[in-house]
Amino acid sequence: MERKEVAFRIYRYNPQVDRQPFYDNFKIAVERGITILRALNYIKEHLEPRLTFRAFCQAGICGSCAVRINGVSKLACTTQVWDELTGSGDDPILVEPLNNLPVIRDLVVDIDPVMEKLKQNYSWVRPAIAEGEMGQKEHCVSDGEFEAINAATDCILCGSCYSECSMTEVNPRYISPPVLLKAFRMNNDTRDTLGCERLGQVSGDNGLWDCAHCYKCAEHCVKHIPIVDGIHRLREEMFERHMTRSEGARHAQAFFDDIRSTGRLREATLPLRTLGVVKTLRMVPLAAKMGMKGRTPPFVVKPVPGIDRVRGIYRRLEANRAAKQGGE
Amino acid sequence: MEHKFDIIIVGAGGGGLFAALEAVRTNPQVSIAVVSKLYPTRSHTSAAQGGVNAALANKDRDDTVELHVFDTVKGSDYLADQDAVDYLCSQAPEVVRELENLGAPFSRFPDGTIAQRPFGGTVKDRCCYCADKTGHTLLHTLFEQCLRRGVKFFNEYFLLSLEHADGECQGIVAMNMRTSAIEAFSAKIVILATGGHAKMYWNRSSNAAGNTGDGQAAALRAGIPLKDMEFIQFHPTGLRKSGLLVTEGARGEGGYLLNRHGERFMARYAPQKMELGPRDLVARSMETEILEGNALTSDAGSYLELDLRHLGAEAIKKKLPQIRELSMHFEGIDPIEEPIPVRPTAHYSMGGIDANMARTAVSGIYAVGECACVSVHGANRLGGNSLLDILVFGKRAGQEAALEAPRRPLRRVAPSALWKAADELKSYTSHERYERYGIIREEMGKTMADKVGIYRTEERLRQGVEEIRALRERFRHIRLFDTGTVYNTNLVQILELKNMLDLALCVAETALVRQESRGSHYREDFPRRDDEAWHRHSLCTLEKGGDVRLAHKPVTMGKYSLETRSY
Amino acid sequence: MKYAYFLSCINESMTKEVDLSLTRWVKDLGIELVNLEKGTCCGGSNLDYVSPDHFLVINGRNIALAEKMGLDLVTSCSTCLMTLRRAKQALDSSPEKRELVNGHLAGEGLRYNGTSDVKHLLWVLTEDYGLNRLAAKVTAPLWGVRFAPFYGCHILRPSSLLGRDNPTAPSSLDRLVEALGGSLVEYGSKNKCCGFHTLLVAEQQSLSMTGNALEDAVRAGADYIVTPCPLCHTALDAYQDKALDGRGVSRNIPVLHLSQMVGLALGYSKEELGIDRHMIAA
Repeated sequence: MERKEVAFRIYRYNPQVDRQPFYDNFKIAVERGITILRALNYIKEHLEPRLTFRAFCQAGICGSCAVRINGVSKLACTTQVWDELTGSGDDPILVEPLNNLPVIRDLVVDIDPVMEKLKQNYSWVRPAIAEGEMGQKEHCVSDGEFEAINAATDCILCGSCYSECSMTEVNPRYISPPVLLKAFRMNNDTRDTLGCERLGQVSGDNGLWDCAHCYKCAEHCVKHIPIVDGIHRLREEMFERHMTRSEGARHAQAFFDDIRSTGRLREATLPLRTLGVVKTLRMVPLAAKMGMKGRTPPFVVKPVPGIDRVRGIYRRLEANRAAKQGGE
Repeated sequence: MEHKFDIIIVGAGGGGLFAALEAVRTNPQVSIAVVSKLYPTRSHTSAAQGGVNAALANKDRDDTVELHVFDTVKGSDYLADQDAVDYLCSQAPEVVRELENLGAPFSRFPDGTIAQRPFGGTVKDRCCYCADKTGHTLLHTLFEQCLRRGVKFFNEYFLLSLEHADGECQGIVAMNMRTSAIEAFSAKIVILATGGHAKMYWNRSSNAAGNTGDGQAAALRAGIPLKDMEFIQFHPTGLRKSGLLVTEGARGEGGYLLNRHGERFMARYAPQKMELGPRDLVARSMETEILEGNALTSDAGSYLELDLRHLGAEAIKKKLPQIRELSMHFEGIDPIEEPIPVRPTAHYSMGGIDANMARTAVSGIYAVGECACVSVHGANRLGGNSLLDILVFGKRAGQEAALEAPRRPLRRVAPSALWKAADELKSYTSHERYERYGIIREEMGKTMADKVGIYRTEERLRQGVEEIRALRERFRHIRLFDTGTVYNTNLVQILELKNMLDLALCVAETALVRQESRGSHYREDFPRRDDEAWHRHSLCTLEKGGDVRLAHKPVTMGKYSLETRSY
Repeated sequence: MKYAYFLSCINESMTKEVDLSLTRWVKDLGIELVNLEKGTCCGGSNLDYVSPDHFLVINGRNIALAEKMGLDLVTSCSTCLMTLRRAKQALDSSPEKRELVNGHLAGEGLRYNGTSDVKHLLWVLTEDYGLNRLAAKVTAPLWGVRFAPFYGCHILRPSSLLGRDNPTAPSSLDRLVEALGGSLVEYGSKNKCCGFHTLLVAEQQSLSMTGNALEDAVRAGADYIVTPCPLCHTALDAYQDKALDGRGVSRNIPVLHLSQMVGLALGYSKEELGIDRHMIAA
């Protein structure tokens, strides 16, 4: 069995003792096939009992042991030491607590913010069945209906996506990826009756439209859930339900309209159409400065050649949609 | 610090959460809190892969509650209490539908009804499932519904003691793990739902690190008897290296067990049911194969193979995605390409807090799920009946507690209970102490696996009892090297080890005394079931000096009388 | 080497210097870019919220225009790249969606077959052209200039869609800098989000993201940030003063487009490459 001395550089912070966080280095002999969690257990049992981290199932299903390994949020129990060796294999493996959550001690973070947001955003199914008729009969659901939410129900609330999220990093009040994913999962469950209220709630301030679609959540989801697709689906649903008064929705609508009218985005009026007059006025000073550099977008945009074809596509798609809705 | 609630639920797995949910639904006026050493969705319920049994008759139209009762009683080797089994099975269709109604995404048949698949030890296909993440989805569904109902949670609180006076519940003492503060939770009713204790087999266990029987140990110390502790289920298919579990669903879907000759050896042990024989039988057959040299060998020990390849890539990906992922993560093999290396692993504790339909000997204290012994599993639990157990009895306990609470006075936890707990915790840091946690824990795991394992004999069990006693003695000198109060995991580990050691002694002592083979308890020196002498439950209590005192209790019979158990 | 070149809206308006600088030097390398004149805005990542069908047909059309020319489609904007590839992935994996799109394209004599790839200019240079060949063309090596390569999001993530660089340790832009003779600074923000996409709906948060990246690059001692995406450029350059406001960062940092950096190394002047158009003087 292949064996190797591996260095670990681990984030340490005990608020009772340490004035500020620091990093501890450990070097241990590791066999190929060993997970980061087993290495942490070894260090705790043999070298530093005070090293503090969470771990429970050790099988990748409870989500307790999510930490950042070499800067990326992962489950310690499903990550192989061998896969984290970098450089010539001698660089230390960096282990740190999840980002965007307060550190309690060492690798342990406070998960309560996630729980609070789940609570505020109707992260549950409210079935149509009356309370008194619970358990009497099953909903008739085709296997296909669950297909849409199947991946989303894999979420173990480990917090990796929360830790990776660009928007949460700069706005702790942002709704966050796992909560949006739950909303997607619930809103696409045919048994649920809260769709409209939930969508209204999650699309409020610090909500659905603030996602910068940087894709970090989905990229690093330990269960490979396409979280951003879920967020997109919620935004689509906003339009389907005609909940289009928000800035985010107006912004999207502008793209849609511009492609029809010129084939190009009319950036000059985009702020006005997204934000309205008052907020747009605040952008005037910067726009003036940009104007001096010739960077202001033109107010008149010449349509692309063949715009009639594009408009034709719009007309036919619109007609199709109208026909479909009429038929329902 | 003292909290006061009408109902305190300890543990936030499926049993605890359903109890909380049902209590709120039954009586929104009662105040309820769930106290758990984990965030709820991390509870071990999430690891249950296979499914939950209910005679919905969606697959086999002629399936009935009676057949489910019969399978369960037979599976238990006739040690289950039949009134409890009747209740379990009769409630099964309702609780499964209820979870479905509340949002659990059960897999479906083409006609839109809940799909059912075969599971070990049953005559009908009755196991309902959500792919191979059934427990995970049920746990999340229950957690979501608890959020919906505004259930109050005290997460990361460790149970220190169960308090009662004159046989009436007072509440619990628990430690806030973030601060190490010792807090009293006075409550009219306490529902224990703390999960199992099979982690005492440590590396030879499929259990999570924290399945240390905290509720059982607290009950034991509070004078509440434990029942049938000798019965530990060994799951046939643990992964070779880690002991992690490969669901029975893998065999339910048609997986083969092969020895090193490529032979489906179960043909020799259970010619009818083959790989889908009951767990104790399959696990023993595998152990025999290993002992007789028919196993494959590796650095990580002997093993057999679970072969899924003939199911095809599509079926494996669709129906057993987690198994595939586990095999890849922890064994480095893809079951589409290669067989999975497996061997039996300690998996489930049938024994637990003696409870009669979830009520314990102390008025106002309930116990449900794996920490309890109701007893519906008797000497051997059927696959798909553990999720059912937590749902049915969690719900029942919640309902009864909500109805009973308004009629009970609140008796408060005595301040002395807090002082006592504080003294104990402080004592671990004493400089005169020298024993190390890791060493005692390793030895405990080894003793349990080697001396109180699948095959048991008088001699090995005597050694086991002696060794566990010696380890308990050494534990009195265990030293806590981390004296901080912020999230002190070392302290928690020591408290968990104390619990496991007390319970390990109960397991070893009851196993030594039971001179017969029944269900999961297999005595090489007494290979037959002896109904005359041993068709009865074992009870243990703790004496003042720390010794285990044994007693017995009759089995509640019903429709089905004793028969030989063959498959 | 010949490609269809996708005209990104922002490069037609606010960041004209991208295409300006690109046209200076592509011919030097023997690369021919044919403008996709009839192409339209890709819809950013916004069009599909309003209507997923429009998103598919409009972008199916964009790609089909390139297919008709028998060329791969190249873009200088990461969000256009990601959006076009998202449409391509959806169409390539679903005959029904292809049928929907082709129904709408037939009238124009177009058909989406999936034969044209969609690439970023960076990939054309690093993969198709080759960095060795490019290095041989360098006449004004960027010796001693320290670059902070800023990849941004949509050229990296989702990696299942883009699949060139490891999103946690991207290297293609780094290798390009080195091929041109420049040196690199190590900094943590290279694969982070610039914040551009929320500039209008969550300005403060967006500026925090921008500011974090800028501050990080300044502290690492970079002379320039270089980015393959005009949207990232706009956030980092046009909004730089706002983003660094109150942060106590010692200096501004100029931001180059990928196309400008290449142009510099090939001997063009800052004016020829439109670097004087930037808000932050270089």
